[in-house]
Amino acid sequence: MSFARALLEALLRDSRLITPQLLLVGAATLMLWPLDGILFQRGEKRKWAPVTLVVLALTGLLMLGVPSGSGFSGMYKVDGLARGFQWISLLSAIATVFLSQRMLDGMEEQTVEYYAMILFALSGMFFLAGATDLVSIYFSLELMAVCIYILAAYLRNQDRSIEAGVKYFLLGAFSSGILLYGLSLLFIAAGGQGTNLSALNQALAMAPKNSDFLVFAGVLMVLVGFGFKVAAVPFHQWSPDAYDGAPTPITAFMATAPKAAAIAAFIRLFGTGLHGVSSDWVPPLSFVAGASMVWGNVAALRQSTMKRMLAYSSIAHVGYMLMGVLSMDVAQGAQVIWLYMGIYLFMNMGAFAVVIHLQGKGEGERIEDFRGLGRRQPVLAFAMMVFLLSLAGIPPLLGFFGKFFLFKLAIEQGYVFLTTLALVTSAISAYYYLMVVNQMYFREAPEGDRPALGTAIAAVVTAACAVTLIGTAFGPWLLEWAGRIGV
Amino acid sequence: MENALAFIGRNFFLIFGLMAVGAAVAMVFSKSAVHSVLSFLFAMLSIAGCYLSLQAEFVGVAQILVYAGGIVVLFLFVVMLVELTRFKEAGGIFHVQTPWAVVAVLGACAVFIYVFRGLIFDPASKDALVLKPELAQGLDVASQNAQAVSRGLFAEYLLPFEILSVILLVALVAAVAIAKQERA
Repeated sequence: MSFARALLEALLRDSRLITPQLLLVGAATLMLWPLDGILFQRGEKRKWAPVTLVVLALTGLLMLGVPSGSGFSGMYKVDGLARGFQWISLLSAIATVFLSQRMLDGMEEQTVEYYAMILFALSGMFFLAGATDLVSIYFSLELMAVCIYILAAYLRNQDRSIEAGVKYFLLGAFSSGILLYGLSLLFIAAGGQGTNLSALNQALAMAPKNSDFLVFAGVLMVLVGFGFKVAAVPFHQWSPDAYDGAPTPITAFMATAPKAAAIAAFIRLFGTGLHGVSSDWVPPLSFVAGASMVWGNVAALRQSTMKRMLAYSSIAHVGYMLMGVLSMDVAQGAQVIWLYMGIYLFMNMGAFAVVIHLQGKGEGERIEDFRGLGRRQPVLAFAMMVFLLSLAGIPPLLGFFGKFFLFKLAIEQGYVFLTTLALVTSAISAYYYLMVVNQMYFREAPEGDRPALGTAIAAVVTAACAVTLIGTAFGPWLLEWAGRIGV
Repeated sequence: MENALAFIGRNFFLIFGLMAVGAAVAMVFSKSAVHSVLSFLFAMLSIAGCYLSLQAEFVGVAQILVYAGGIVVLFLFVVMLVELTRFKEAGGIFHVQTPWAVVAVLGACAVFIYVFRGLIFDPASKDALVLKPELAQGLDVASQNAQAVSRGLFAEYLLPFEILSVILLVALVAAVAIAKQERA
C-alpha cells in the first residue's frame, strides 16, 4: 500500500510543475468536445481564436506560478532553460493565433481542430523544453511533431498543402526512427541502467572501451534525428516545401516555436547527457552548423518566393544557433541561443505578418509583389524594412546584437573558422534581405487598391516592430539581463 | 544434433531477429498487398519471439495481441476495401533510387556490423549488452513480469506514458480532421 501512496504523493507534488501543460491539454480536449457543440452554433467557428487566446493567456499566468524543480522520476525539470524556451514558444503561438484568424476566415477554413492542434503542439513544446530524460524527450518531440504535420497539411483542398504535410510527415517519421535507434544505442552503451540524462552522462564516461563505436554511432544518429527536426543542412530538404505549402501563419509558427523547443532539447541532450563524449559530436555538429549557414544563405539568394526565401533563411539562422550548442560552457551557450531565438521570433513573426497581410489580396507570395510597398503603405513597408535589416543583422538593430553575442561566444570557445564562415554568410544574407527592401522602395508600384490592415495583423506587426526597435536601444545590456532572469 | 539444439537455444534472439528482418524485406518487396500483410504478420510474430527470448513475457504477449491480432486485421480490412488494381503498375517508380538505396543499406549494414562486432563476439565485453532492468525493486522479473512492466509504466515512466496518450488522441483527431468530408 505504501508504494501506491508514495506514488500518489509524488504525483500530486510533481503535477505542480506541469500545470501549464495540463491546462493546455485539458482546454484543447474540451474544445474538441463538448465545448464545440455547446458554445457556438455552426458558422460561428471564427470565435475559436479568441477562446484560444484566452487559454494561452491563462497558460502564461500559470507559468508565472510554476515552481522550479525536477519531478516525475527525473523525467521533467523546470529551470531557467525550460522557462525561457517555453516563453518563446508561447509568444509564437499567440502571434500565430492572431495571424490565423483573418486568413482562415478568408478561406472559410475555420475549425476548432486547427486551434486545438496549436494548443496540443504547444504542450508538446513545453514538455520538450523541460524534458531531462531520453524517453520524455522522444515522446514530447513526437507530440509536437504530430501536431505540426497536421497543421502543415491543414488546407487539404490545396495540393501544395497536402504535399507539405506528406513530405514533412514521411521525413519526420523516418528521422524519428533514426533518432529512436540512436537513443537506444546510447542507452545500451551506458549499460542499460537508466535513461536519465545526467545518469547517462556518468554512465557513458565509464562505458567500456570497446563500446566507443557504439557511442559514436548513437551520437551520430541522434544528431541526424535532431538535425531533421531543426532543419539543419544536410537534413533540410523537407523544410522549403513544407514551409511553402503550409498555411502561412503555420509557416511562421514552424519557423519559430518548434525550433525553439527542439533547440532547447538539443542543448539539454548534448549539453547534459552527452557532455562527456563531446569529442564524438563536436566535429559533425560543426560541419552541420557550417553547412547550414552556407547552404541556407546561398540557396536563399536564388528564391523568388518570399516564403521559400524565409525558409532558407531560417535554415541559416539555425546554423548560427548551433554554434551556441557547440559551446563547452553550456549555461552561457544556452543563454546566447535563447537570446538569439527570442530576437529571431519577433523579427520573423513581424515579417510573416506582412507577408500574410499581402497574401490577403492574393499577393505576397513572390518577392516582386513587394514592389512599391514603400509608397503604397509607408508604415508597413518601414516595419518590414526593420524586420529584414534586423534579420540580416545590420547594426545597430536588434538582430545585430543577437549575432554579436553568439559570434563572440563562438570566438571565445575557439571556433574561429566557423565564426569567420558565419560572418561571411551573414554578409551574403544581407544581399537577399536588401533585395526585398529594394523592391519596396525603389520599384514602381503596380496599379491596385490599398487593402485595409486587419487589427490582428496590425497588432502583431506593431508589437514585433516595437520590440525590435526598443530592444535595439537596450541591445548592449540584453545578455546581462538574460543572465539575471536566470535563463 | 545435441550441439545444434544447444546452439539454437543460445541464439534465439539472433534467429528471431533474422526472421523478422527477412519478413520485413519480403513485406517491402512482395508484389501483392495480401502477401505484404502476411509478411508483416510474420515479422511482428518474430519480434514477439525476440521479446520472449529476452524474458520480457508481458511485452511479447502484448506484441502478439496488438500487432498480430489487431493491426494485421485492420490492414487486411483496408486491403479488402481499397481497390488496389490501380497501384499494380506503380512498381517501377523508384528506378533511380533503388540502386542507391541498396548501396546505402549495405553500407549501413557494414557500419553496424563494425559497431557491434566488438560487443557481440568479444567475450570480455558481455556485460555491456546485458540489460539490468532494476525497475522492479523487490520483484522477481522472471516470474512477475507484468508487475515489473506496470511499475515501469505507471511509476517511473508515468509522464512519457501520459504524453503518449495525448499523442494517440492527437493522431485520432488529426486523422478525422484531414479525412472528413465537407458537409454541404
